[in-house]
Amino acid sequence: MRLIARYAKELQNDFEIITVYEETIEKELVSKEQPKIKTLAKKYPAAIWFERKMHDDFGIIVEDAFDKRPLVQQERFPKDIHPLRKDFTNTQLEETEYIPYKYEAISGDGVFQVAVGPIHAGIIEPGHFQFSQAGEDMLHLEVRHFYKNRGIEKMLEGKTLREAKPVIERTSGNESIAYQICWRDIYLQASQQELPLALKKRHALLLELERVIHHLTDLGFIPNDAGFGAALAYGSKLAEDARRKMKELTGHRFGFGAIDFENHFIDTATFSEWLHELEESIEFFEDWIMDIPSLWDRFDTTGILSLKKALKYNTVGVVARASGLSLDRRINSFYLEHGFIMASEVSGDVGARFKVRLQEVKNSITMMQHFLEEDTSTLELSSIHDGSYHTFTESSIGELFMAIDIKDGVIERFFVRDPSFMNWQALHLMMRSDIIADFPLINKSCDLSYAGNDL
Amino acid sequence: MIKFWNKRVKHGVLTENIELDRELEKIKKEIQDSVKKKFAGSLAIRMVDSGSCNACEAECNALANPYYDLERLGIYFVASPRHADVMLLSGIMTFNMTPHAKEAYEQIPAPKWVISLGDCPAMQAPFEKTYAINAPAENHLPITHHIAGCPPSPLEIMQGLLEFLRKI
Repeated sequence: MRLIARYAKELQNDFEIITVYEETIEKELVSKEQPKIKTLAKKYPAAIWFERKMHDDFGIIVEDAFDKRPLVQQERFPKDIHPLRKDFTNTQLEETEYIPYKYEAISGDGVFQVAVGPIHAGIIEPGHFQFSQAGEDMLHLEVRHFYKNRGIEKMLEGKTLREAKPVIERTSGNESIAYQICWRDIYLQASQQELPLALKKRHALLLELERVIHHLTDLGFIPNDAGFGAALAYGSKLAEDARRKMKELTGHRFGFGAIDFENHFIDTATFSEWLHELEESIEFFEDWIMDIPSLWDRFDTTGILSLKKALKYNTVGVVARASGLSLDRRINSFYLEHGFIMASEVSGDVGARFKVRLQEVKNSITMMQHFLEEDTSTLELSSIHDGSYHTFTESSIGELFMAIDIKDGVIERFFVRDPSFMNWQALHLMMRSDIIADFPLINKSCDLSYAGNDL
Repeated sequence: MIKFWNKRVKHGVLTENIELDRELEKIKKEIQDSVKKKFAGSLAIRMVDSGSCNACEAECNALANPYYDLERLGIYFVASPRHADVMLLSGIMTFNMTPHAKEAYEQIPAPKWVISLGDCPAMQAPFEKTYAINAPAENHLPITHHIAGCPPSPLEIMQGLLEFLRKI
């Protein structure tokens, strides 16, 4: 069974611990006076972050946990505060005494620590990487995040689904359409309505366009991190063109506000023409890039994630598919009918992740051609019903899981698990045989979100 | 590889529609002149993300694509605050990032300026105040200039930089 998420929800007298697996959802009640649970981390290493987060958020004690350090709450965060509890209403915290975080580190003769971040060298999101080094060799890496924690889960409580949307779509800018589609699915479930096919196609088109923008950027950035800047110029030009198409279709370069229930005009002829151009450009790019031995010398066998470990750590998305896992939320009749072919590689290295992105861009172009049509349908929304809803979307990074509880018409608990939340926890496994200079390349080949992870 | 060189010789410099090109050209020229005058031809920017959704960073990265090519005008994004003249601050100033953003500012040698980027640092984005947010950024850092937008487009960022250059 694959672990998808583990999180808590506050009830009247208890906490409900919800564990989402591939096939089932398990629920467990623990009293608020004695909120104690057992760890799942022995079987599922990726449960560690979920459990540490649960402790920070609600004060739930994981009795047999082997890692009891705080996760979201950092050095200056006031102690014994559990902000996701309903009785916590403070909106301004004072910094308290600095209590150092104990990094996982390897010690020994000649082993030293390299601390990188939270502010990195380039134009990137903040996060921290702590390396244990023996010379150039990376012995161990601890990834530490949550610098961008904005308290989105708390922020959305008490809001209607409509009020929550502007925040949900800004959780992670690279995956805005994917987040909005999750929101849309939950809205439809709560109002017990079906989406007209034309709208579904429009939304799927936008999701693929978002994927193409993200992948094209990476297809430039990954070679750039291996010292091949020309690819970045080429990739970023194509990404910019795609981003302008997004603006043409939705009025926004990142598609904020794009997923709704109304019809919009699409100039299909112009868009189709652009898709053809992009297809040619990508073929040219592939021809060119596959033919540069010095580049593939850096890509091949760098940053390997074995199939076994990809499975054990429940990785998702591009990272999983590059390691031979057939995991994609788009495997369903709707997508298959519109030309979906799952991208897959087996070597699990930087080169494999690069190739998966390349395949996915080409496949997305084909699918966008099929999704393209003059849209004519609008959905009149009926009122929503209370209940617990959840949904999945395949974002450009991987499987996105969102769960929303609605009580008295407003959000009682908002939970989202970005694909990055799983993949970040597997990042340290990829650098066992590499040197620290390869780290940016390996990290970029995964291109995970910090904002979506930190919430 | 031969294909690549053929294409390169055949296509030359990337141009857009003429109107936008003229607008861009005008802005580019003014920025270049101003950077030359006020920063001896080289303006170094340290970008600090204090809790954005990454859209502002994506747009700053887009400034380097062949359409905008900001570096040609003498404006560089640098890897360390100690090399910087200006801090470009994006994000909503989370509780967790506040001390780090302040520290980065301390590390910039004087004279120095802070430009806030996007609606988040001004607390204008749809995010509402929670325990984890310390915005607006002006409570923590001296902001010289603000570039609004969610996110501002590359062109808007360039216009914003120009306004900043005119201001100082």
